[in-house]
This record gives sequence, C-alpha cells and structure tokens, in this order.
Amino acid sequence: MAAIQLQNYTLVITGAPYSSQAPQTALSFARSAIAAGHTLDRVFLYGDGVHLASAFSAPPSDETSWPAEWAIFLKDNDIPGVACVASALRRGLVNESEQKRYELPASNLLEPFVIAGLGEWVEGTMASSRVIYFHAGG
Amino acid sequence: MTPIHTLHILNKAPEHPRSVACMGALMPGDALLLTENAVLALAAQCSTLAGIRVYALAPDVAARGLGQCTGEAALVDYPAMVDLTAQAQNVISW
Amino acid sequence: MSTLIVIDQPPYGTWAGREALDMAFSLAAFDQPVALLFTGAGVNWLRKLQETSEVEQKSVEKNLSAAPIFGVEAMYADAAACVRYRLTLEDMVAGVVMSESSSDLLNQYKHTAFAG
Repeated sequence: MAAIQLQNYTLVITGAPYSSQAPQTALSFARSAIAAGHTLDRVFLYGDGVHLASAFSAPPSDETSWPAEWAIFLKDNDIPGVACVASALRRGLVNESEQKRYELPASNLLEPFVIAGLGEWVEGTMASSRVIYFHAGG
Repeated sequence: MTPIHTLHILNKAPEHPRSVACMGALMPGDALLLTENAVLALAAQCSTLAGIRVYALAPDVAARGLGQCTGEAALVDYPAMVDLTAQAQNVISW
Repeated sequence: MSTLIVIDQPPYGTWAGREALDMAFSLAAFDQPVALLFTGAGVNWLRKLQETSEVEQKSVEKNLSAAPIFGVEAMYADAAACVRYRLTLEDMVAGVVMSESSSDLLNQYKHTAFAG
C-alpha cells in the first residue's frame, strides 16, 4: 500500500455515552490516529455529545467510564476537548463561571474539557485537513 | 489501489432512514465503511453495490457475532479505518 | 472550503435540526461558504404557516427566514422527499431550490455534516 499522507483531524462527537457507541468508536479512532502519526487539532462535543464531558457520570465499576477514558487520552496527548456552550447549558453541563452566572447549585465540567462556542468547531474545520463526525447510531 | 473519492461512514442499522439515504448517495469510486449497527447489513440480504468498495469494522462485526458472514465486505480494524479516512478525498459520517 | 449542512430530521420533537441550523449560521458568521440541504422528514422544516405557540417552541420558520440574511448561500430541498410530504415550492418558505439528485449535490461540497 502507498504511504499514507499524515492528516490533522478535528473529531466531532454528537452521540452521548451510554445511549450511543459514538464516544467509544471515536476514542478507538483517536488512539489509532495518534499511533499512526496523525495529529488531532481538537475534539468538539456537540448536541448530546456534551454529556461526555460530565464529571458527574458514575457508571458501575465493571463498565468503562467513557468520560474518564477520554479525559486521560486528551491530557496524555495534550489535545483540546471543547464542549459547545449552547448544547452544554441546555443539557445541564456547566463550568464554574457558568454556574455563577446562572446561579446553579453545582458545576460538573470534567477537566481537561472546556466550554466554548461553535466558533471552535468552525476553527477546527478551517485548521484541519479532515473533520470526522461520530453520531449516535440506531 | 485507486483513490477513494468519498468515504461514507455508516453506523446505523439497515432500516434507519439515514442508512437508506446513504445507500442512495453512493457513487462509483466511493467506498462504504460499515461501523456499529450498520454491520448488521452483513446479516441481512443486501444487494451488492457495483463499483463501490465495502468495508466493515471488525470489532463491531465480531461483537455482533457476524464474523462468519462478511460476504463481499473487507474487514478493517481501527488503524485501517484511520487509513481509509486519510486516503479518501472526502468523508461523510451518516 | 464549502460546507453542506444536511437536515433530515423533522422540525419539532427533536433538537438535532435546530443544532444543524446553528452550525450553518456559525459558519456563515465566520464568512465560510455554507448551504443547507433538507431531505427526508427534514423537508417539513420548509412548510409555511407553522403555528407553534401551543407546543411552546420557537417557530423554525422564523429561524429559517433569517438564513439568507446571515449569509447561508442556498437552501436545497430534496425533490423526492418533497413529493412524499406533498410539498411544492408554493407551500414552502421563500428561497428554496429543488434538488433532483442529492448525491450530485453531496459531491459538490468538500465538507458535508449532519448535526447528530
């Protein structure tokens, strides 16, 4: 097979953990992309995908914690993980500053994820050579 | 290997409206990668697609007990899935 | 890079279509070329005379009418889906273009995205 040209990927996850397979397919893809020498510009969580950035997810101990696995992967590889602010606020995912602004009882954004606007996705599409979406199945 | 024009990544079962739309959008020179529940198409009686290369994600095929009925589809692992996305000029996730 | 945002979900009862429209508006806000394709049940977005006060949701018809103002270059409707849902150009919001072959349309865009 001819040599593969190295790419810079933006990954967009729109399927939630525990109601879709999207976060795990995306993580396996991301690990393989890094192992092959490609780069990940950023990972953007949109729609139901923002649930992946919840620090309050507590699956049974014999099930994989997809938020935790993703957080470790992003930290180890120094890749930005961004949750869309409009999607996040509607679905109850907030960082400390949004908690204060909306006077909510707690914040639940898992590090190293950050909350930002859709402009982060637009920048990803402009900066990357490939944008791959991981939607909920069915 | 001839280059892939558009790689269609399909993750939905054959009855899903988007699966139907994806099948209708395939053009000669494209490739189809079945992932997640889309691999169930390997068990269903599906017509073969002329001029379209069909791949299926092996871990999803194995998980659903379909290792014996892959038919025309070439099994790929996650690194090979990455390769396909890197080779294709365009990628559409259905 | 030109982007085609595809809406194939109905306007009410699901949020994915609204989030798709936000994606299109964001691209336009950054001066990135973007068009919308309505297909499948998504063509019901385009029907005129939506009255949503009783379901307590914002009318998507109003959102859509802002698309050209925000800089969305085109709004395509899949012709076969329009036939299925008995929609003619007269029944639809202004500015819609019928697409006889969605696969040809997909081929014209470098980047195609669904919202979910």
